[in-house]
Amino acid sequence: MKSFAYATALSTDSARQLVADHGAYLAGGNDLLGLLKDYLISGPNILVNVKSLPGLNQIERGDKSWTIGALVTVAELERDPDIAKVFPGLHEAAMEIASPQIRNVATVGGNLAQHSRCWYFRQRDVSCLKKGGNLCYAREGDNRYHSLFSGNDCISPVVSSLGTTLAALDATAIVLRDGKETRLSMAELYRKAWTEPTAHHSLNPGDLILRVEIPTARTASAYLQVSDKHTFDWALVSCAAAANIAGGKLNQPRVALGSISPVPHQVEAANAFLDGKTLDDDIVSQAADLILKDARPLAHNAYKVPMAHALVRRTLLKLKS
Amino acid sequence: MNDPETAGAGSLSRRTFLKGLGTSAVAAVAAQTTAVAAELEKVNAEKIVGPGPVPVTLNVNGRKLKLQLEPRVTLLDALRNYSSLTGAKEGCDRAACGACTVLLDDTPIYSCQKLAVEAQGREITTVEGLAKGDKLSKVQQAFIEKDALQCGYCTPGFLISVTALLKQNPHPTADEVKHACAGNLCRCGTHPHILQAVFEAAGVKATSKTEVIHV
Repeated sequence: MKSFAYATALSTDSARQLVADHGAYLAGGNDLLGLLKDYLISGPNILVNVKSLPGLNQIERGDKSWTIGALVTVAELERDPDIAKVFPGLHEAAMEIASPQIRNVATVGGNLAQHSRCWYFRQRDVSCLKKGGNLCYAREGDNRYHSLFSGNDCISPVVSSLGTTLAALDATAIVLRDGKETRLSMAELYRKAWTEPTAHHSLNPGDLILRVEIPTARTASAYLQVSDKHTFDWALVSCAAAANIAGGKLNQPRVALGSISPVPHQVEAANAFLDGKTLDDDIVSQAADLILKDARPLAHNAYKVPMAHALVRRTLLKLKS
Repeated sequence: MNDPETAGAGSLSRRTFLKGLGTSAVAAVAAQTTAVAAELEKVNAEKIVGPGPVPVTLNVNGRKLKLQLEPRVTLLDALRNYSSLTGAKEGCDRAACGACTVLLDDTPIYSCQKLAVEAQGREITTVEGLAKGDKLSKVQQAFIEKDALQCGYCTPGFLISVTALLKQNPHPTADEVKHACAGNLCRCGTHPHILQAVFEAAGVKATSKTEVIHV
C-alpha cells in the first residue's frame, strides 16, 4: 500500500471536506484495502473514517418504508429478526455474503459501492479498460465469470448482492452529493457502469451513500445465488425477486439478477408480464425467457444462461413460500 | 523482534499519551471499552494524522501495546511485525483465508483488512490470549484431543472463530458450526476433525456419523 493520512469524521460535512479531491471514505474497509494493496486505484492521499457519523448505523422501521443506514453491517442485516420477516430476500442475501468475519465489518454502503472483481482488473500489472486502458482482456481471454449483457466494452459484472436485492425491492439510495441529499433508484445508482467502462457505479468522487430506503409494499421477497463453493464465494449468478401476493396473484413484481451485467439486471417487460399472474412453472419460465432473451454469452460464460434461467424460476417460485 | 510491552513506544510515554487525549478520555478509561473507543474517536476526530508514523495504542489480550505506526499499517502487521505477536497468521492478506482472524470486542474479524489505527480503544484478542497461563482453553484442548489440525497454519484463526461462536451459542448444531467457520479455510482438509473438536468443547453429541463426516 502507498502511504496515506488518516482522519475520523464526526459529521457528513466534515467528512466531505476531509476527503476533498483526493481522499477516500473508509467504512468496513474490505474492498478499499484490497484495492489499495494491489495499487488498483490512484491515490488516495487520505482515508476518512466515516464510522462515527451519527445516525447512519441505524435501522428505522416505518409503516411504508424502512430506512437502513449505510453503516449498518451486513452481519446486523443478517441477524435482525425483523428484517428476516419483513424483507426475507434481504436476509437471505446478507447470509450469503462473504464470510462471518467480513460480514461483521462490511457495511451496506460499502457493499453497494464495491469495485469490480474481474480478475483482469484485480491483476495489478494489467492495464485494462476498467482501469482506463484500451482493451478488455476478458472479452478475448477467460471470461467464465463475466457478463451476459453490457452497454460498453467492459464485461465486468456487478457483484453487490445487496444492490441486486434492493433493486428487486425497489429501494432508493440517499446519497450526499454537493452538500445535498440526492435520491437514486438502484438502477440510477449503477447506470453509469452500463455505459462507462471505468465506472462501477454512478457515484461521483466525494459522493457518500448515507442510507437506503426500502418500501414495505412488497411483502414477499427471495434471494438465491449459485457459486462454485457452497459458502464464502462470489455468485456465478444471483437472483432476487419481490412482490406483493394477494389472492395468489403477483402485484408489483420485480426481478433483478446479479453477476450477469455491469448493473443489477432488470427487464421491465418481464416485471410487466408477471404483474397479475399466478405463479406456476409455465409463467416463471416465460418470465425467465423474457429476462434472458438478449443475453450475449461469450466463449466461457454460456453456462450462465441456463443457470440464470433456473434461478429466476426458483426465486420466483420461492416467493410463494 | 521487540518485546510487545515496549515495542515501538518511541518517545511517547503512557502518561503523555493520556495527557494528549484530554481529561475526558482519561476519565473514560475506567468505563467500558466501547466508551473508550468513542472518546478516542471524539478527541482524535477531524484531526488529520500521518502519513508518517503516529502513536497508536492497542489493547491486546488485556495488555496495552504502545506503538508508532503509519496509518497504512494493518492490525495484522502491527501484531506480527511491530509486537512479536505472531499467533495470527498471514495467509492471503486479502480477507480470503481466515488465518489472521482475531477478536475485536468478541467479534471475529480479519486483522489483515483492518487498519491498526482504527482498532484503538477496542479489546483485541489473538490466539495468544485464549489460554490462561499454562492452561489451555476448552476449545484449544479439544482441538488437540480430536487431532483437529495438520500443518496448523489455519488453526489460530479457527480457534478464534470457534471461541466466538461458543460464547454466543454454547451448543451449536453442525450447520451453525459450519456457518461460523465459513470464513476459515484449511488446505489440509481437517474440517471433519475441527467439527468434532467443536462438539467436544461444547459438550454436544453429534446426532449422526454423517453429520460429522459430511462437511
